[in-house]
Amino acid sequence: MALSHDVLVVGAGLAGMRAALAAQAAGADVAIVTKVYPVRSHSNAAQGGINAALNPEDSWESHAYDTVKGSDYLGDQDAIEILAREAPGAIVELERMGVVFNRDEHGRLGSRNFGGASHARTYFVGDFTGQAILHVLYEQLVKSGIRTYNEHFCSQLLADGGGAVAGVTAFDMRSGEVLQIGARAVVLCTGGIGRVFEPSTNALICTGDGSALAYRAGAPLMDMEMVQFHPTTLKSNGALISESARGEGGYLLNSEGERFMKKTAPNAMELASRDVVSRAAQIEINEGRGVDGCVLLDVRHLGAAKIMERLPQIRELGLEFAGADMITDPVPVLPGMHYQMGGIRTDVHGATPIAGLYAAGECACVSVHGGNRLGANSLLETVVFGRRAGAAAAEFASGRKAASLPESLRDDEERRLRTLVERPGTERTAALRLEMGTTMTRQVGVFRDEPTLRDAERKLALLRERFAGVSIGDKGRLFNQALVAALELDFMLDLARTVVAGAIARTESRGAHTRVDHPRRNDAEWLRHTLCHHTPDGPVVSTAPVTITQWEPTERKY
Amino acid sequence: MSAEMVLSVFRGEPRDGAEHEYRVPLAPGMVVLDAIRWIQAQLVPDLAVRWNCKAARCGSCAAEIDGRPKLMCKTRLDAYRGRVLHVRPLHTFPLVRDLVTDVSWNYRVAQRIPPPATALPAPLNMQARDVGRSQEFHRCIECWLCQDVCHVLREHGGQGQYVGPRFVAKIAESEMHPLDVGDRIDFLVAESGIGLCNVTRCCQEVCPEAIRITDNAIIPLKERVADRDWDPVRRLTRRWRRRAGRSGPPGRTGG
Repeated sequence: MALSHDVLVVGAGLAGMRAALAAQAAGADVAIVTKVYPVRSHSNAAQGGINAALNPEDSWESHAYDTVKGSDYLGDQDAIEILAREAPGAIVELERMGVVFNRDEHGRLGSRNFGGASHARTYFVGDFTGQAILHVLYEQLVKSGIRTYNEHFCSQLLADGGGAVAGVTAFDMRSGEVLQIGARAVVLCTGGIGRVFEPSTNALICTGDGSALAYRAGAPLMDMEMVQFHPTTLKSNGALISESARGEGGYLLNSEGERFMKKTAPNAMELASRDVVSRAAQIEINEGRGVDGCVLLDVRHLGAAKIMERLPQIRELGLEFAGADMITDPVPVLPGMHYQMGGIRTDVHGATPIAGLYAAGECACVSVHGGNRLGANSLLETVVFGRRAGAAAAEFASGRKAASLPESLRDDEERRLRTLVERPGTERTAALRLEMGTTMTRQVGVFRDEPTLRDAERKLALLRERFAGVSIGDKGRLFNQALVAALELDFMLDLARTVVAGAIARTESRGAHTRVDHPRRNDAEWLRHTLCHHTPDGPVVSTAPVTITQWEPTERKY
Repeated sequence: MSAEMVLSVFRGEPRDGAEHEYRVPLAPGMVVLDAIRWIQAQLVPDLAVRWNCKAARCGSCAAEIDGRPKLMCKTRLDAYRGRVLHVRPLHTFPLVRDLVTDVSWNYRVAQRIPPPATALPAPLNMQARDVGRSQEFHRCIECWLCQDVCHVLREHGGQGQYVGPRFVAKIAESEMHPLDVGDRIDFLVAESGIGLCNVTRCCQEVCPEAIRITDNAIIPLKERVADRDWDPVRRLTRRWRRRAGRSGPPGRTGG
């Protein structure tokens, strides 16, 4: 049976569901392919909130400026203006759908402070904002009747004779059946590349599948070296302690009990942007003022009542995974890989350079985050640009005939996967994955330099060669996670190399990218995006200009 | 670190399965999911198991650990040291393979639950203490532990008749929304099967989010049903109206 839709969305997190709903509202027949169930998506991990200039004393210009400054002037200002202008409407829309945001003392929407923001403009649902929004959007999705291919792994993008995207192949993880799904437009909403690093705050499914699919299909990946290290992650399992802990007034202390942020950000202190705080924390740890490889996050002075009202989940995380009760003890934290600012290059409608291919959310690079994302701008990006990409994809689909793809493509893909499962080999996926992840964390972390990056490049090229010898430990069809893990590793090895290639190319320090051997920002040469293009021999880097509308680059101080 | 633990993990397909024992090296703070992933990575790569966030946010890794429904990512191994730890798939749902069950029934039920309905245009004005009542149910991560433990669904084959604790909580989420104007009493009476719950509180005991499903969702909604549908005066009014030919469908409340 030939499956076909006008718009096919890959991924069912916030961006994916928002895109699907928008495409349907524009009249398209829509379906979603997701490798988990929609409510399992990593959007549920977003704790802190979602930004919007809703308060009359605030303005979208102020939100946009904070975002531009946070991005270290690498964000494209036309896109950032759209993000900030559409934010208030997005919040109101979510509330209408049924998201129950916290209130202030007058019963209005209540906001909290977040890093790098000049106003308290982060709206939130306790400390489980992402999860609350995810489940409400899922409710809308269920109501819409949009078909979801749950637990289907998208393994390939299909193109028509003219090079436009015309569908995907995916396999049903539960039965092993391979499907060919035709589409007039495809929207990739597959999230971040977190698991390229080990550890990472990201869920285990964050393997950048969509980014790799687009990259291999010829779409460039932009600013891949811009990887956000979140200042407060737990040592034991890399879990995230939300910025809301600092937004509510938490302190960061070194082993001497000193609030070390006063040295680098005397005004914003703990609420400087994440790249600034992570660097400062890493310096404390590297210079011997850490506690067991960590710094301390202290919220005790907020009192038990406020902690229980505003930060219950975070306290729970501390109890479960660090064995510390934040009401009575500081929690040891360290910077950890958290977010990928870069991704598939798109315009402000989510369109990639490939006809019919769109992207939104963390896998896309519009770019609103530039060199460093502000907290609570990512949830906002998913709903604003998810909606835009879905609508644009529907419009594109309506003006295009469905490509007739030969059914044999399905058989070809089935054969390819079968060969992969059955091939002999001595390498193990888990071992290669760990080696890749630890290499990235050690050598492509908060502080970088050319020799270390070159060495990482060599190691990754070697891992790429060794991947050919991976044997898949499960030969069956039902729920074959070994096959999924191998395909994910295949994707991630490509993505890891683009991160390193971008990091080598960018010979300056900007945002989250700190080159010890090029410690200054260099606007003359590097007020530019890096673009990674796929070739059989690895990534090739070019550059593209940054869009400046009204904010000229100046030095960044917090 | 030479400490070890033995996990006895269910392996197999619906008609052909048994527990197998695996020796796992212990590390401080290790949880059951770490052990299962270690087993999958090091010993049996064809072990089927769902996981994702490893931080009790996504609800994927529900299993029966030592006979109790729990999230593997949230269950520490040190609590079970010195004995064999049994890990089995959820009992209430059909087995796919190993620790993976077919939970799609829940998602089909989700499609039948009436959505929230607010009459006023957002942004809304609501007091914080009122918002809290609805927010409690927004915490649900849909891990299906409560559906697994609910004896109506587990022992009595109630899947055709009762939506289960998760979806009563879902209805409560809308019902407790301060500005909701939807009427779900008909649905509760005629379709939800809420009457089958005899309030044993097992569901709220296993909830990893500590949502008081029985106390704050099931009991208040049973009361709303009783108040509207079982009130003798209202029943009489309804019967009278039906006789007068002005009635709605059965179970519909009077004025």
